[in-house]
Formats: sequence, C-alpha cells, structure tokens
Amino acid sequence: MSAAECQRGKMAALRAGLLTRALTKGKTPAISNIILGTRAASGPSKDTLPGAYPRSPEEMAAAAKKYNMTLEDYKPYPNDGMGYGDYPMLPERSQQERDPWYQWDHPDLRRNWGEPMHWDFDMYIRNRVDTSPSPVEWRTMRNQLLGFVGFMLLMFGLGEMFPCYQPVAPKQYPYSDLYLERGGDPAKEPEPVKNYEI
Amino acid sequence: MANYKEAPLATRPKTLDPAEYFNLSPDYRRAEEKRAALRAQLKRQYLEQLNNPHRKELIEDPALTRWTYARTNNNYFRPTAKTSLIGGLFGVLPLFVLYVVFKTDRDKREAKIKAGTYERPYKLST
Repeated sequence: MSAAECQRGKMAALRAGLLTRALTKGKTPAISNIILGTRAASGPSKDTLPGAYPRSPEEMAAAAKKYNMTLEDYKPYPNDGMGYGDYPMLPERSQQERDPWYQWDHPDLRRNWGEPMHWDFDMYIRNRVDTSPSPVEWRTMRNQLLGFVGFMLLMFGLGEMFPCYQPVAPKQYPYSDLYLERGGDPAKEPEPVKNYEI
Repeated sequence: MANYKEAPLATRPKTLDPAEYFNLSPDYRRAEEKRAALRAQLKRQYLEQLNNPHRKELIEDPALTRWTYARTNNNYFRPTAKTSLIGGLFGVLPLFVLYVVFKTDRDKREAKIKAGTYERPYKLST
C-alpha cells in the first residue's frame, strides 16, 4: 500500500514539477531533467540493482542477500575504481565445466533461475571460453606450442638471411638463345651462341 | 560410486567430490545447508512461475537484470591511478605510436621513390 502511495505521490510531484517549469520558463524542460528527476516505477527498484562498493558489514549482508548468495560466499571485487561496484566476484569457471546431467532451468546455459551471473558470463558460455581441464597441463601445452612455433620462425629467418642451395648457372637456351622465338629477323643470320666446351 | 572416474576433459561434479563426504566440519555443513536452502528457494520460485497455468508473460530474471545493469551502466568507474594508466596505455598511446610508425614508414618510402630506388613489391607488369 505504501509503495503505491509513494508512486502516486512521485507521479503527482513529477506532474506538478513539469507544470510549474512549463509555466515559468515557457518551454518544456529537457529530456535529461526528466530522466534525472524521477524514474518510472515499472522497472526494478533501486535496492535490487547493483550498488556501490559495500563498506560496512551491514552493507555486505544486504548485498549478499540481494544477490541470493550466502555471506561467506559473497566477495565483492576490490574497490580500485574499475567500475564493479558491489557486484560479486564469482570463481572463474566456464559454463562448460558445470554438470551436464543436472536439470538446469536453462540447460544450454547450464544456469538456474536467479543464480548470480559471473561478470564475464557472456565470455564463459559454452560456445566461447572454456576453462575445463585439458589432457595435458596448460603450461606444458603453451611451452610446446611456443617452442615449436619459435623454432620454426627462427629457422626460416636464418634461411632467409643465409640462403644455401645447389650451385646454379644461368639457363642456356638452344637455337642461338631462341633468336627466332625472341622476335629476331629471319632474314638476318644470328651470331652463333656456344653453350658448351669440348 | 566409490571408484568413479570423471570423463577425461571434465571437472568432477560437486556431489561426487570426496571432500564432500569425509572430514566435514559442522561449519562447512551449515554453510552448505544455507547454500542449498537458497538454491531450493530460487528453484521453488521459478517452478511456481513456470507451472502457473494463468501466466501469460515472460518470467523475468532479476539476476539477469542486475547483470545487464552492472555491465551497461558504469556508474562506479572512478578515475584512479590504475584506471588512468590503463586508459592512457590503451586509448591515448596507440594514437601517437601508430602515427609515428606510419609516418616514418611512409616518409622512407617517399624518399626512396623520389630517389628512384623503390622496388614495387607486387608489381604485375614486367
């Protein structure tokens, strides 16, 4: 009941504000004024949306309750101005790692309704980044790959700098160096070209 | 299930983790019970809405709303040393670095063309 009264009161105040502003200034106020003044009550209320970094234990408890997490699990991101606010820091695990046989509410996302979403949820969906275990340790894989690629780059680079191939001579053509084929005058006698030595 | 071996490229499910069954302190159990209670409440809310025969609209997920709001509205960004450094490194520095790189490369090429020593790399006509 009190929420409805509050809403009606806010709407009345908004209408009154707009009316007075329109009457006094002679033109309707800018959109930004309307937006900053009041917000429509049809969307989520301010206490269910993410807020600022929690400072006191009460704020931590309230934030944990808001995000449907237990107080022990709820850990906000460090407050270094990167823009996280009080959003919880969940373990960096992709959705691929979750149990495929459990009856999730959203089976393709492997997520239940109301469960707190990781900040990088759209990265950790099953089509994208996957943190599930690999057959060999990541470090070994990375070292082997970089070692192989680096070695091949090195060898190709060396090959460019110091080319080594069989000794070659310029190509020898018959018929006086292809005199007629190269557009020589058929009436004139070409000079003889000797490509051999006996 | 005692000798369960997980699939080669999968993590072990939590319910089959041996740590769940041995050496459990009361604190751990209480925490797990709280988590399970929260999960059960959420599940119940969802299923009530899902199986409600009079429901006509989409089931709205507040966690999704919060996530979207947090990601799109950067209300809590603050210019600090770290954020300014990152911003400068990724936003301002590339402009200058790329300008310098491209300018020097093009000036060198222009000088070569003027001197007549430039060899066109992909020249098609002989």
